[in-house]
Amino acid sequence: MHPADGVADRASSRPILVASDIYRSYGTRRALRALSFTLASGRVLGFLGPNGAGKTTAIRVLTTVLEPTSGRFEVDGIGSEEPIRIRRRIGVLPEGLGFPRHTSGAEYLTYYGQLFGRRQADARQVSRELLEMVGMSARGDSLIETYSHGMRQRLGIARALVNDPRVVFLDEPTLGLDPRGQQELLEMIRTIAQERDAGVVLSSHLLSEIEGICDDVVIMNQGQIVAKGSVTDVLGQAASDGTTERTVRVRVPVDQVDAAAARIAAMDGATVTDLDPRGWVSVQVGSSAASATDADRNRVLETLIASGIPILGFEVAGGRLQDVFLQLTAEAIA
Amino acid sequence: MTATAAPAERAVADDRSDRPAWWLVFRQELEELWVGGKALYLLILFGILISITAFLLATNSELSLTPPRTMIIVMIHTSMTFGLFIGLVIASESISGERERATLEPLLLAPADHRQIVFGKYLAALSPWPIAYLYTIPYVITLAQGDLALWPALAWGAILGTLTAIAFTGIGMLVSLWSTSSRTSLFVGLLIYIVAQLPPQLPGEFLATTAGAVVQAIDPLEAARQFLQQGFIDVKIVDELWPLLYAPIAVTIGILGVLFLYAAPRLGLEGGPTRSRRGAGSEA
Repeated sequence: MHPADGVADRASSRPILVASDIYRSYGTRRALRALSFTLASGRVLGFLGPNGAGKTTAIRVLTTVLEPTSGRFEVDGIGSEEPIRIRRRIGVLPEGLGFPRHTSGAEYLTYYGQLFGRRQADARQVSRELLEMVGMSARGDSLIETYSHGMRQRLGIARALVNDPRVVFLDEPTLGLDPRGQQELLEMIRTIAQERDAGVVLSSHLLSEIEGICDDVVIMNQGQIVAKGSVTDVLGQAASDGTTERTVRVRVPVDQVDAAAARIAAMDGATVTDLDPRGWVSVQVGSSAASATDADRNRVLETLIASGIPILGFEVAGGRLQDVFLQLTAEAIA
Repeated sequence: MTATAAPAERAVADDRSDRPAWWLVFRQELEELWVGGKALYLLILFGILISITAFLLATNSELSLTPPRTMIIVMIHTSMTFGLFIGLVIASESISGERERATLEPLLLAPADHRQIVFGKYLAALSPWPIAYLYTIPYVITLAQGDLALWPALAWGAILGTLTAIAFTGIGMLVSLWSTSSRTSLFVGLLIYIVAQLPPQLPGEFLATTAGAVVQAIDPLEAARQFLQQGFIDVKIVDELWPLLYAPIAVTIGILGVLFLYAAPRLGLEGGPTRSRRGAGSEA
């Protein structure tokens, strides 16, 4: 098996980013170990990991800002030994990007468009298009120092697209944005992958956003990959040991938590494992992973409905990326 | 937010820019320096210092303590001393300041040779010097009181001042390239500036030794001072004065060599002279 096989192997579109066995050290400390994965064009890859997992280092290596200690990668068929050619084909929104204070958004994009090899008139045209795309055409001529944080993030994304890149790297793009801003940005990221046929690498702490828009996921911990594949594959991979799939969580009104727990405790093959003051009741169903069926989970709901207890929420533990993330990173630490 | 605009054309795989990267960076830096006000603030400070110097000289002149020719040389040397300070301060902060403001990373991500990025910033840091020198000229003309040395001294001042500005701005850029924080680079820059003022203050016994002669010879600011002093006060001919400039010119070339051949290709997110050469070379 090729070391980079993995994430997008089943994608019909061609690989646009191939990382093969990349290591990166800072002195004696290894920040990245054996980083290998593939990203296909038109797909969004979520880069997950706790603080210090090596996500930002990985992005900096893949964007040629840092040199790998060993290993190599290719972007659009160009090897990592040609960083300047790679830079022409990638767009990057670094974490905590700063901006010049005395420049307007339109001038900023035009400047970078020219730095990326566009003629001035072309760079201006692209600048206008990108400002419109990120919903900032009305503020394009205002100084960047007057922009809100959300507007700067959008401008940063527009800057990452000035060269119409093959691969876009976004490091924590929704950090510090309000929920609406986050949602709008995520929609835009999805659109970038689909309409521009670009591969997108999205690093984020917000697992729900990764789960919502990513096709593939790479989970990192302590500098190495602990899981990779499509989101469905990774969810399945974590659930295959059966430790989480047996647990369901039901949300009921806060004043009926005790009543709900008592009803469930009276059931055969169901055990209440946790009560949350916000109304969540955790229940383990079946005696083993194999014996936990959809019918078992449905019986919990039927019991509550039959008792007249309103159900405000329901979820299967292990069915969310957050559960997988916590499980895999905890295992790696252990 | 609207739907994505269709790309004007697929990835800019080839450089079709009508401007070289160094020119783009230079223009952008000029805007930040002059529109942002930093260069103007430093020039205002320069103007105050030059005005005070001119006032003191004029006062002495009224008491007939200082001849006009000496005042010309003192004013030109003062202009060089304060003018190179502006370049040193701006250069010392140019890269390390971008590191602090997190504006360096996007520049490093541009497909430009890092030497061009550093060159653009270097030229911008040099830009206040000619303005500062032009600002000094009316004061020198006023104090010259028709002395015949005025215009030759101004011409040599421009040449020597440019030499010192090139050298000290280059030193400032080196300090900035190797510093992570602008506070550190400004402190080191200031220290170098103070050291450059030291040779005339050193004891005569030391200056008479070989080491003392070397210290005087390699300091471009001291060499410029000696050149003006000996050329216009001691009235030596130019042929006798050229040797004074050999060492400073060699030092300046050395500084520029280290800057553009060694340090600039290693420009990175973090300071320090030991980085690998990620940004150098052609695309081929």
